[in-house]
Amino acid sequence: MNELIVLKNLNKVYRMGDEKIHALKDINLTIDKEEFVCLLGTSGSGKSTLLNMMAGLEKPTKGEIIIEKYHIEKMNEKQLAKFRQLNVGFVFQSYNLIPTLSALENVSLGLTFRGIPRKIRDKMSREMLKAVGLGDRLNHKPAEMSGGQQQRVSIARAFVGKPKIVFADEPTGNLDTKTTIEVMDLITTMAKENRQTLIIVTHDVEISPYGHRVIYLRDGSIEKVIENKIKGGAD
Amino acid sequence: MSSMDLIRMGIKNLWRRKLRTFLTVLGVIIGTSSIVVMLSLGFGMQEAFKDLISRMGSLNTINVYKSYGGYGEFPSDRRNKEAKLNEKALINFKSMPHVTAATPIIETYGIIKSGRYTSHTSIKGIDPEAMEHFDFKIAEGRLLQTRDNLNIVFGGGMKYSFYDEKAMSRGQYEEPNIDLMNDRMILTFDMDSGMGPSMPGEKVQGPRYKDYNIKAVGILEEGNWETDWSVYAPMDTVEKMIQEKEKIEASNQGQNKRSQREYERIMIRVDDIKNVEIVQQRIKDDGFEAYSLNDNLKEMNRMTGIIQAVLGGIGAISLLVAAIGITNTMVMSIYERTKEIGIMKVIGASLKDIKKLFLFESAMIGLLGGAMGIIFSYILSFLVNKFSPAFGDFMGVGGEAKISIIPIWLVFAALGFSALIGIISGYYPARRAMNLSALEAIRTE
Repeated sequence: MNELIVLKNLNKVYRMGDEKIHALKDINLTIDKEEFVCLLGTSGSGKSTLLNMMAGLEKPTKGEIIIEKYHIEKMNEKQLAKFRQLNVGFVFQSYNLIPTLSALENVSLGLTFRGIPRKIRDKMSREMLKAVGLGDRLNHKPAEMSGGQQQRVSIARAFVGKPKIVFADEPTGNLDTKTTIEVMDLITTMAKENRQTLIIVTHDVEISPYGHRVIYLRDGSIEKVIENKIKGGAD
Repeated sequence: MSSMDLIRMGIKNLWRRKLRTFLTVLGVIIGTSSIVVMLSLGFGMQEAFKDLISRMGSLNTINVYKSYGGYGEFPSDRRNKEAKLNEKALINFKSMPHVTAATPIIETYGIIKSGRYTSHTSIKGIDPEAMEHFDFKIAEGRLLQTRDNLNIVFGGGMKYSFYDEKAMSRGQYEEPNIDLMNDRMILTFDMDSGMGPSMPGEKVQGPRYKDYNIKAVGILEEGNWETDWSVYAPMDTVEKMIQEKEKIEASNQGQNKRSQREYERIMIRVDDIKNVEIVQQRIKDDGFEAYSLNDNLKEMNRMTGIIQAVLGGIGAISLLVAAIGITNTMVMSIYERTKEIGIMKVIGASLKDIKKLFLFESAMIGLLGGAMGIIFSYILSFLVNKFSPAFGDFMGVGGEAKISIIPIWLVFAALGFSALIGIISGYYPARRAMNLSALEAIRTE
């Protein structure tokens, strides 16, 4: 398989007053196209920081992030916005839907920023919502939906633009076990269908089988990498 | 992001916070209308002044008087310019560039009698040829012509100057029933005539003045202060009358020859208002006193300019407050929408989109306030004009000028300005929204 994301000597140091916190220490990692990766670790292990950096939301203190030959760490805000718009989809723990917009509007918002005409983006969003099983909730506001439903809206939003990479930051953190399985199945199925690369951050060991590879992080370093004989990947 | 989407999203955001949007817009309404109404008062004043000046005579006219050598002038200066307002000067004025006509104005006072009515009036001698060049507005009949002799043109208000002396002595006044154009008229310089019977026993016989049978050929329009209370007659006729009068009074100074005679006043017509100042200056340089209504107009324009600036400044303060209101609203809105902005950034909104969205919202507030402010201004202006006496009355000058006038350009200027205020007020908040860290924004709950 070919490389999509390459991380070289990635370091991140936060300053908290006089104290320096080394959130990431010399991370070297390569993620292939269409690979599903689980970043597993306790809180404070640096897993979220790592994800944010790959998504261009945070700048590294040192090191390189290369996605498809592009140096993310060297991009300015404007370029990063464009990069995210075209290449990245997000699923958050707290869904991060805009409360005043309906499910349909939330899903199509990203397409709006791409300048896709209303008719087309509404059609795309409607189909995507049907695919995540919310065909009858198109005009509901987030507050009128359950947590699982909200997360499915956010999954629809992440996948509707057919991004190359989907980042999921504790996607099931707020969900019960049954819904967790539903949501994880949904994410992996869709990523597989669209041949996308999926990067999941979680502290939940139950989630780890969904990745081809599980990367254990501890105190800002990669502790170990385990190759799965695949659950999410194979079927 | 397409403009349509931007507009739709912006309007939706404003609509979401109806009350706050409305209150902010209200601030702009008050600001805009206070500026517009204040300025409209200034324009009303300007109109009133213009009206006032046009009643005082024509703006194209320069009146030249003999210089009396005011204070502060060196005698040597005076001697160099032995300025006599005589025939030579008149010819000189006529030959100046931009001068279309010049006429001396000879003035004397006399009495006109018609039947039982009498009028004491000023009689102005004017060059009949030149008369048509000056802004005499004829209401009835015609102006003087070259061959006129004992013909006169009445000023617009002359009708009311006639009174019935018998009725007056009984203490009554009635509207004179007189036909200026057709009634027989006699002009005399006998000032005792019509003053009622003199005291018995006192038998002072004054000089015998000549009676002139005059004939009116025209009446001027009413409403011009310069001409209302005079009659105009050909210059030569008036000159002859004065000579005859002086002869009777035996006070002839011997200034018979026309070329030697000095005029009190020469009136000059200039082709265009723009050139009045140049001509006026030239005449002054020749050593005469020269006045035109332009002097007044300039002074008045300067005054209204100052008044307008003050009024506009007062209005501008309320618009400034409104502008701060917009900024405040937008900053508040950013605090509330921090998370939303973060989400938008994470899912691919460009910095420009965010900035444009916020600028659009604040511009909308400005524009909306401006538009409604203009409507409100028109209502206010209408009410002011309707329920208070005309500004002219207030100033004691009469006239029909409105107190408040809103020129059409002011409407567009106010609209543009309020939108601009909106954009300027929104600039800082928009930048702030743009520079918000996406990561921190989505973390806020």
